[in-house]
Amino acid sequence: MPHGPLTLLLEFDDQVRRDQTQTALFLHRRDRRYALDCLANQQRPGIAGWLDHVQTRVPATSRPDHDSRLKPWRRLTLLLTPVGALLGMLTMLGLLFYDGNQQINVTVIIGFVALQLLLAVLTTGQALVGWRPWGKLLSSVPRGDDSKRSQIHPMLAQLQPQLAACTAHQMALAFAVAGWLTLIAMVVAQDLAFGWSTTLRTSADAYTGIVQGLAAPWANWLPSAVPSLTLVELTQFFRLSDAVGDNPARYGDWWPFVAMLWLTYAIVPRLLLLVFARLHLRFQARRLLRSHPGRQSLLHRFATPTLDTGSDLTDSGSAPAAPQQQELHALPAGDALVCWAGAGSEVTDIRTRLQQNAKVLVLQAGGTASLNEDQQTITQLAEHDRPAIILCRAWEPPTGELADFIRDTRQQGPANRVIALLPVGGETPLSPASDIQSAQWLRFVERQQDANLWVCALPAAPSAEARHG
Amino acid sequence: MVEAPSFAVVGHPNRGKSSVVATLSQNDGIAIAMEPGTTRESHAYPLTVDGNTLYTLIDTPGFQRPRKLLAWLEAHSASASDRPETVQAFYNQHRDDPQFHDECELLKPILEQNAGIIYVVDGSVPYSAANEAEMTILQWTGRPSLALINAIGSDDYSDRWENALGQYFRIVRRFNAVTAPFEQHLGLLRGFGQLEARWEQPLTAATDHLEHQRQQRQTDSADLITRALSDMLQLQVTGSIGPTESRSAAKQTLQQRWIDSQRKRERQLRQGVESIYQHHRIQRQEAELHWAGDDDLFGDHSRALWGVSRTHLATAGFGAGAISGVGVDALTLGHSLGAGALLGGIVGAAGSYYYANRLGKWSMGPLRQGHRSVRFGPAADLQFGYIVLGRALNHWYQISHRNHAGRDPVNLATTGEHWISQLGKDDQRQLQSLIQRLCKGTTDGRRHDQWIQTINHTMHAFSQWQQNEATGTSPAQSV
Repeated sequence: MPHGPLTLLLEFDDQVRRDQTQTALFLHRRDRRYALDCLANQQRPGIAGWLDHVQTRVPATSRPDHDSRLKPWRRLTLLLTPVGALLGMLTMLGLLFYDGNQQINVTVIIGFVALQLLLAVLTTGQALVGWRPWGKLLSSVPRGDDSKRSQIHPMLAQLQPQLAACTAHQMALAFAVAGWLTLIAMVVAQDLAFGWSTTLRTSADAYTGIVQGLAAPWANWLPSAVPSLTLVELTQFFRLSDAVGDNPARYGDWWPFVAMLWLTYAIVPRLLLLVFARLHLRFQARRLLRSHPGRQSLLHRFATPTLDTGSDLTDSGSAPAAPQQQELHALPAGDALVCWAGAGSEVTDIRTRLQQNAKVLVLQAGGTASLNEDQQTITQLAEHDRPAIILCRAWEPPTGELADFIRDTRQQGPANRVIALLPVGGETPLSPASDIQSAQWLRFVERQQDANLWVCALPAAPSAEARHG
Repeated sequence: MVEAPSFAVVGHPNRGKSSVVATLSQNDGIAIAMEPGTTRESHAYPLTVDGNTLYTLIDTPGFQRPRKLLAWLEAHSASASDRPETVQAFYNQHRDDPQFHDECELLKPILEQNAGIIYVVDGSVPYSAANEAEMTILQWTGRPSLALINAIGSDDYSDRWENALGQYFRIVRRFNAVTAPFEQHLGLLRGFGQLEARWEQPLTAATDHLEHQRQQRQTDSADLITRALSDMLQLQVTGSIGPTESRSAAKQTLQQRWIDSQRKRERQLRQGVESIYQHHRIQRQEAELHWAGDDDLFGDHSRALWGVSRTHLATAGFGAGAISGVGVDALTLGHSLGAGALLGGIVGAAGSYYYANRLGKWSMGPLRQGHRSVRFGPAADLQFGYIVLGRALNHWYQISHRNHAGRDPVNLATTGEHWISQLGKDDQRQLQSLIQRLCKGTTDGRRHDQWIQTINHTMHAFSQWQQNEATGTSPAQSV
C-alpha cells in the first residue's frame, strides 16, 4: 500500500501550519534545496518525499492511514460493525418469523431489499455531494471548551461526509452479511414456508415477470434460484384464506431465490459501494491535497530559484559605543586657531564669534590644503605655548588625517599644551554640534589617548554690546 | 562561466556608502551611521541565485588619509601609464601598515578582485575640492567606476557635484538610498552592468530575479493577509458563566479575550509581512493598539479610515459597484468622533466596547450543572473585515515601499480618503463576497487561490490610491 492519502494530507497540513512560524526566506531555501537535490538524483520532487525530508525521517515505502486523528472514526466503525451484524441477524429473524399460520411473504423481503438498496444509494449520493446534515449539530452548540473544538482537524472536517459513508456502508455490509447467514442458517434449521401476497390485484403471470426480472442476474448460471410460473401460482396466499396447497414442500422452493436476492441486491451493492466510498475518500483526500493552499506555495518554492541578497549578513555588532566622557570642555582662550578642512571659511571675523582675542592667529590645514601647507601650520603652531584651537565641521567625521595632524602638532610643539577641538554643527550662523555629532568627536579623542586633547563646546554668541564695546 | 562582478562601494567616511549597500542588499542590519575608526574591515554582500553569485557589493571603510596616499602615488609614478601599477605597489607596500589600513582595505577588492568602483558622495553637503584626492586615487586604479550622489540631508548640491564628478567618472547617477523607489534600485544595478560589457548579463539576470522576487513577495503578503483575514473574521472564543457569576461581567471578559486575540493576530500578520520584505528591525511607531487609542483596531479612527459606507456594504454584493464613486467613502462618523476623542478615554472605551459588542455573534449553550457555556464570535459585521483589510494593506504598503537604509520608525500614515474606489467593480464584488464568506465561515480552502488573487488586486488598487494621494490626484476623479 503506498502512502495513505489521508495521512499524507493531514501530515502535509500539519507541516504547512508549522511552517507558518518560519520565515519565507528560510522556507524557500529549504524547499528549493530539496528540489535541487531531487533533480540531481534524477528524481521528481514530491510531497511525500518532501515530508520525509523536512521531518528528517526514514522514507516510508508503506504508510497506511494510521494517523491518531483518524482513531475516532476507526473506533466508531469498529463499534458499529458488530452492531450492524447483530441488527442484521435480528432483522432477518424477524423477516423469517413463521408461526405456522401464514407463509413468509416474499414481497416483504423484496421490499426490504429494495429499501436497503435505496439507503445504500442515498448514502453514496450524500458522500458524493458532500452533504452533511448533522454538521450544524457539531458546530452550533458551544461546548464550553476551546481545546475540544480545536481537535477537529479542518481537513478531516471537510472529509466527514466521505468518512461517514465508509462507516455507514461497512455497518450496512455487516448487517446484510449477518442477515444472509441467518437466512441460510434458518433454511437449514427450520422448515420455512415462503409465499407471496399483495393487496394489489396482481396476477401470477405479472408477479412471475417481476421476480424473474429480479432473478435475471443469476438466471443463466443458477436456474434453480429462478421462481417458475408454477411456483408463483402455487404459493400465492391470502390472509383470510387458510387453504394450503396440495404440495406444501413447494413453499420451501423460494429460499434459493430469497438468498440470491439478498446476496445480489443487499450484499454485493453494499460491498461495491463500500469499495467505492473508500476510493472516493482517497480521491477526496488527494483532491484536497492538490487544492491545498500550501501545495501551490510549495511547488512554487520547488520551481523558483532562491534569491539571497546578503540580507542575513550583519555588521551592526560593530556599531560605536557611547563615549565614556559625555561632557564637553569649555573653550580655553588660545592664541592660534586652525580651521580644519575649510571649517569656518564662510564665517566673517571668526575671532569675535569665538570670543578669542584679536591677536589670535588663524591658520588653515586639512581639506584642500597640501601636506606641505599642513606642515607649515604645524611649524607655526609650535611657536606658541597657549592652547591651540582646531575648528572642525562636526558633521564631517574625524579622519586619520586629523589624527596625524594632531599627533604631529603634539610632537613638534609643547608637550603639555592643550589642543582644543571645536566641532561646530553649522557655520552660517555658527552653531553648536548636536549630541550625536559630539559623541563621535568624544570617541575620537578617547582613541587618541591624549589627556590634553579636548573636545570643547561652542561658546555662546557674544552680545552686541560686547562686540562693539 | 562569466566571473561574477564585484563592486567596491567607496568614498569619504559617512557619505552614505553603507546606506546604498543596505538598500541594494535589502539588509537593515548594516550599521549605517558608522564612524571612521570603528569599522575597519570591508563587508561583502553577495547576491546569489540558488547559491550562484551574480554580483557582490563590498562595503568598505572610508578614506582616512587620501592626501598622503596621493602624495605617495605621485612621488612613485613616472608617467600616466604606470598609475595602476603604482597603486598596486602602494597596496603591496602598505597592506600591513596600520596607518593605511583603511586605504588598503578599500583598495583590496579593487586590486585583488578587479572590483568595479562605486564612489558615493553626499549630495546634501556642498562640493569640496577636498574630495579630489580621493577621486584622483580611484582614477589612478584604472578600474571601471561610477559615481553616485546620495543625498542624505535636506539640502541639495547635486548639480554642483554632478559637474565635478563628471570630470573623474564616466557615469554619474543620483540615488537617494532612503527614498529611491524599487524601480530605481533596478536601474542603478543595470547601470553597474554598463561599467563593463561582460557584467551586463549577470546584472540583467540579477535585476530579473529581483523583479520576480518583488512580485512573489506581494503574492506571499496577499496570502498572509488572506489567512489573517480568515482567522480574524472567524475567531471564536468560548467560556462559561457560573451560577454566581455576573453574566455581563463574564461576557465582558470573554469579549476582552476575543479582542486581545484579534490584536495579537494582527501583530502576527505585520511581523509576517515585515519578514517577507526582510525588515527585521522595524520600530513601529503606530500606537500599540491601546484600548481607546486613535490607531486601535477597534477604535473610531480605524473605523473612519478603513470602514466603508453602509450603502457599499448593502450594495457591493449585488453588483452595484456603479455607485461606488458616490457610495464609497469613509464613515463620516469617525471624523466627528475623532474630535469627540477629546471627551476622554472613558467615552472612547465605552464606545469601543459597544462597537466590539456588535462585531461578534453571541451563542449560548445549554445550562449544565448551573454553568452555561457561551461563545463570542465569529465576526458578524462585514465592516470589521474592511477595517482589518484596510489596516493590513496600509501596513503592507508602507513596508513594501520602505528601503532598508531607512532607520526612522515606521509611521503608518493615514489619510482621509477611501481606497476602495480604486478597485474595479468586479473586484469590489469579489472582495465583498470574500468577506461575506469568511464571516459566515463557509471556507474550505478550495477558493484560497482565488482569494489571494482578489487580495492581490486590492493591493494594486491600494498602491494606486497611495500614489494618487502622493501626487494629489483625487480618487474620485479616477473612478
